[in-house]
Amino acid sequence: MAIQRLFIANRGEIALRIIRAAQALNMETVLAVSDADRDSAAARLADRTVVLGPAQAAKSYLDPRLVVHAARESGCDGLHPGYGFLSERAILPTLCAQNGIAFVGPEPDVIDSLGDKIQARGMARAAGVPLVPGCDGVATAADARREGDRIGYPVLLKAAAGGGGRGMVIANNGDEAEAGFHRASAEAVAAFGDGTLFMERFVPEARHVEVQLMGDGKGGVVHFGERDCSVQRRYQKLIEEAPCAAMPDHLRKQLHESACALAASVNYRNAGTCEFLFDVKRQEFYFIEVNARIQVEHPVSEMIAGFDLVQEQLRIAGGAPLSVTQDQVKLSGHAIECRINAEDTARDFLPSPGRITHWSPPQGEGIRLDSHMSEGAMIPPYYDSMIGKLIVHAPTREAAIDKLDAALADFRVEGIATTIGLHREIIAHPDFRTNRIHTRWLEQVLLAERKGAAA
Amino acid sequence: MTQKPTIDHPVDHVRVLMEEFTRSGIATLHLRSGEFELLLSNDAAAPSLLGGQQAAPVAVAAPVVAAPAAPVAAAAPAAAAPVSTSVPDGAVVVAAPNLGTFYRAPKPGAAPYVEIGGRVAADDEICLIEVMKLFTAVKAGQAGKIVAILAEDGAMVEAGQPLFAMVAD
Repeated sequence: MAIQRLFIANRGEIALRIIRAAQALNMETVLAVSDADRDSAAARLADRTVVLGPAQAAKSYLDPRLVVHAARESGCDGLHPGYGFLSERAILPTLCAQNGIAFVGPEPDVIDSLGDKIQARGMARAAGVPLVPGCDGVATAADARREGDRIGYPVLLKAAAGGGGRGMVIANNGDEAEAGFHRASAEAVAAFGDGTLFMERFVPEARHVEVQLMGDGKGGVVHFGERDCSVQRRYQKLIEEAPCAAMPDHLRKQLHESACALAASVNYRNAGTCEFLFDVKRQEFYFIEVNARIQVEHPVSEMIAGFDLVQEQLRIAGGAPLSVTQDQVKLSGHAIECRINAEDTARDFLPSPGRITHWSPPQGEGIRLDSHMSEGAMIPPYYDSMIGKLIVHAPTREAAIDKLDAALADFRVEGIATTIGLHREIIAHPDFRTNRIHTRWLEQVLLAERKGAAA
Repeated sequence: MTQKPTIDHPVDHVRVLMEEFTRSGIATLHLRSGEFELLLSNDAAAPSLLGGQQAAPVAVAAPVVAAPAAPVAAAAPAAAAPVSTSVPDGAVVVAAPNLGTFYRAPKPGAAPYVEIGGRVAADDEICLIEVMKLFTAVKAGQAGKIVAILAEDGAMVEAGQPLFAMVAD
């Protein structure tokens, strides 16, 4: 049954985005806020706002019992978790089910198994999705050389027992693999009491590519193309594009098929993203993980598909089948999104909360801004620093970059520091223009050049 | 629009400071800048800026969720308060620490914790807030007399919503 009254368990731009989608489908909206967000743009737009608790997320947005209690007591029959916060915690859909509320997302057991790296890799392998070539139990230096030779260098040696950077070594040839084994294994023994190593191919210049999926929960899955999110800083995406212009068509087709096969194999329901690492040199892609939620960068897929993914999420959660078949999904042109953060790039991206004293965003055809900000708005210091997403759509990547540059130049924000200037530098860089970037490019090349220029 | 530097909104700064202070675990923070002076302390017996009497910020900083004394009075105007007009002059408000269902009695059928006109000590429990079968008692926070009950028994209340008005001793 279609959702009548939707509870929005999130804040910021995505709360606003979800409310608008719900209103377009004639749903009533109840927004959960913390004490710090009483006067947010989303609070003004929602039919009703309920204050969960104090500003600290742990006592408001991150408390699943509090959230579901509020949803139930305010008479909601659906709940959208947005992204971040509780969106990938199985407890939330579990509590929703116990209280007769339709959760806008996958089943709790699917969230749990996809959230577990080892289980997710097993599911991917079973669905025929390529994984990074590797080997689980490297026990001797001779093993390390033999497996390294088989996998192809460079390889990464890691402690099988632990995570983090400890006991991690990169080897470029057989000799380094043997020497690296002794070093990494000794560190692993010291840190975890177990010297067994895990080896996988290391891709020094990889692109991050991901496929937007929508499933009906019964094995039916449609994809909305892929996104390239290779401009990253400390694993945080800054710029996302659709499609991945660096990928040839035959590989793109395999990528989409792999992602759909994995989602179909678990009867995936609602929106999800299958993330891959793309080794441009070898022309291969490898599974990373599935994100079981709507993602920050979903608008670039919406722009090239001309399709509202959040409205589709709400329809599916209400029991409707997929509203499009794969043949009906037509992708056209190129879209790019910049995440605008309230951060001072000259001070190591220090967050810059405060009040916006001037706000004049760009406008025009093919320009979209997803933001909860306005003149006089306050950016509280408790949550993430994203203040909006600027998205452009044009017939080609070149034209999209030009449009984005003009839009960024028109974007005036005062009162706080923002990443707008950095975005202009990135898209003006020859490496970005010619599309020769990778996930470590921003830090290794552009930010390094910036530092050099400042010194 | 005229440009306003953020310093025009000192309340925002104080909120940020309080948040950071609570998180830091520091016992006392004393800040002075021009005419502005702020003392945050976790110690109720700490000397106050007003000399002798407790200044409001001192109580605000105390991380005692169940004893919302002074901060509540400050937060009350912004809260969705259906009957806040009935707060008598000079009374302070005890507000809900978080969203939940408001119960005036310890269990169904039992007598309410407190009635209008009843006297309470600071540590007295005066109502329950339930979140998914988890019941949390709310304390009066200060000694005094209950002069109004501002929320309906069994209704959902939001964080910061006034529950009781009381006149402190």
